[in-house]
Amino acid sequence: MATATQSPAPVPARQRMSRRVLHQNLYGYLFLAPWLLGFFGLFLGPGLWSLFLSLTEYDVLSPPKFTGLDNYIRMFTDDDLFWPSLGRTFYYALLSVPTGVLGSLLLAVLLNAALRGIAVFRTLFFVPSLVPLIASVILWKWLLNGDFGIVNQGLRALGLDPPIWFGDRRWAIPSLISMNLWQSMGGVRMIIFLAGLQGIPDSLYEAASIDGANSWQRLRNVTLPLLTPTIFFNTVLGVIGALQIFDAAFVATEGGPGFATWFYGLHIWKHAFDYWNMGYGASLAWFFAVIIVVLTILQIRTSDRWVFYYGA
Amino acid sequence: MATSSMQQPLPLQAELVRRARQRRFWHVVRYLFLVGSGLMFAFPLFWTVSSSLQTWQELRSFEPHLLPSVPQWTNYSDVFAAVPYARWLGNSFLIVAITIPGTILTATFTAYAFARFDFYGRDLWFILMLSTMMIPRVVTFIPQYLLFFKIGLINTYIPLTIGAWLGGGAFMIFLLRQFIMSIPRDLDEAAHMDGASPFRILFSIITPLMKPALTTVAILTFLGDWNDFFGPFIYLNKPVLFTAAVGLRTFQYIPLETTDPRDHLLMAAAAIMTIPMIVLFIGAQRYFISGVVLTGLKI
Repeated sequence: MATATQSPAPVPARQRMSRRVLHQNLYGYLFLAPWLLGFFGLFLGPGLWSLFLSLTEYDVLSPPKFTGLDNYIRMFTDDDLFWPSLGRTFYYALLSVPTGVLGSLLLAVLLNAALRGIAVFRTLFFVPSLVPLIASVILWKWLLNGDFGIVNQGLRALGLDPPIWFGDRRWAIPSLISMNLWQSMGGVRMIIFLAGLQGIPDSLYEAASIDGANSWQRLRNVTLPLLTPTIFFNTVLGVIGALQIFDAAFVATEGGPGFATWFYGLHIWKHAFDYWNMGYGASLAWFFAVIIVVLTILQIRTSDRWVFYYGA
Repeated sequence: MATSSMQQPLPLQAELVRRARQRRFWHVVRYLFLVGSGLMFAFPLFWTVSSSLQTWQELRSFEPHLLPSVPQWTNYSDVFAAVPYARWLGNSFLIVAITIPGTILTATFTAYAFARFDFYGRDLWFILMLSTMMIPRVVTFIPQYLLFFKIGLINTYIPLTIGAWLGGGAFMIFLLRQFIMSIPRDLDEAAHMDGASPFRILFSIITPLMKPALTTVAILTFLGDWNDFFGPFIYLNKPVLFTAAVGLRTFQYIPLETTDPRDHLLMAAAAIMTIPMIVLFIGAQRYFISGVVLTGLKI
C-alpha cells in the first residue's frame, strides 16, 4: 500500500491493486512451495492413505483387502492390550506433563537473573537433554537398580524397603518418568520458558516495584500471568509429546515388566512393524490421532479461562 | 555519605539499605537452589563419564564405585575396535549435514511466506501447518514407511532427511515465523521501494537479522536428528548404515564369544557422541534464548 501511494505515475486503482495481489500471491506461494510439497507428499497424502488402510487387512506382500470397520471393531472388542495400553499412556501423560512443565518453569525462573555464572548452570541443566537415550536408560537402570542402585542403597540406609523400580509393575512408569524428567526438564521446554520470561517488559516489574510489590508478589502478579501463554504452549506440546511415548519405554523396558509399560505407541509399533499388520496398525494410529486432536482442541477451547495475552 | 547514614539514617537511605539486603538474601537463596538442582542434574552426567572409565566388573559390583580405581582409558579405543563406531558417527554427521541446511533454507522460506506475504488462503494454510504438530508421528509413519518401502528407499538416508528439505517441520517454521514478525516491516518496505526483489530482501535484509533464530533452529535440528532413535531404527537395518544413536544398542547385547557385559563401552561411546553436542551448545547458547520469540503467539 505504501508503495502504491508514493508511485509517481498515476495508474488506475484496480490495476495497481491487482498487481500487488499478483505479487503477493506469486511470491507467497513460491516461498511456500517446499512446505506445500511436504504437506501433501509426507503428511496429507500418507495420512489419507493410512485412513484407507485402516479399513483394510494389509500385510505389505499382498494387496490390501477391504474389510470395512472390522479393524475398529476388533480394536474395541477383541484386543486385550488396547484399553490397558491407552489407559497406561494417559496415566503416564497425567503424571509426567504437570511435573515436567512445572519443573521446567521453576528452573527457568531460577535461571532468569543476571547473576555471575548463570551460563554454567544453564548449560548444566541443558546437558541431560543432549545425552543419547540409550545411555540415559543404562544410567537410570543403574541408579534405580533394585540391588546395588545408589537410590536404593540410600533408601535402605534410611530404613526403608524400596521397590525394584523398573522391574516392579507398579513402579516401572514412575521410573520412566523420573528418567524423562531428568532428561527433559532443563531442555528445550526450559529454553522456551526462559525466552518467555525474558519477553516480559521490564517496565511492568518497575511499576510493580514502585507500587511496593515484593519479589513473591512480582512473581505471582506479573510473571505468572504474563507467562500463561508460554505455559499453555508448553502444556499443549507436552501432552502431545507425552502421549506419543515410545523410544524410552521401548529401549528401557520393551513394554515390560508384564506389559506394565506397554504404551499405545508400542502397541501400534508391534502390530505395524513387528506383525506387519499395517491395516490394523493404521486403524490404531488413526483412532489415537482423533483422541489427540480432540484433546488439543479441548485445551485450546478452555484456554481463555486462564491464559492471559498481554496487549491483546 | 557513610557518616551521615550512621548518624541519622534518612528514610530513603534506610529503605535502600533494606532493599539491598533483601536482594542479597534472594541472591543467596537463588544460588543455593541453582547449586542444588545443578548437582542433581550433573550427578548422572558425572556418572556417565566415571562409568565410561571403569571395568565392567566394577560397574556390576555391589558397592558402587563413584570413581574408577584405575581409569580405563582403553575403553574409549575398545569402542572403536568392538563396533564400526567411527563409521556410525560419520553417518550421524552426514545426516545432520543434510538436514541442518535443508531446515534452515526451507523453514525460512515457509516462515517468510507466512510472515510477509498476503496470499490467498494464508491463514488456512497456517492453521493446517500448526495442526500438523498435533498429529502423532505414528499416523503418517506407517504410510510413509510403505511409500519409501515401495520405491526402494529403505536403508537409505532419504526417508530420514527429506522432511528437512520440505519445510523442516511445523515447530521450526513457527519459531522462524514468530521471529520474522518481530523484525520491523519498514526495512523490507524500504528495500522494496528501491526495487529489491523478495529474494533479495530475504537474503540481504531479513536473514542477517535472524541469526539468533537460525542458530536456534540449527541446534534443535542437530539435537533432534543426532539423537533420533525411532527413524533410523525403523528405516535402517544394515549395521554399516546405522547412526551412532541406534548403534549404541549393540552394546546392550552381550556378545556370545566373551559373555562379558559391555556397559562400560556403551557409556564411553555415549560420552563420545555427546561431546560434539555439548560443544555446540556452549558455543551457541548466547543466541539460543534470544532466538525463541513467542510474543504475539496465540493458539
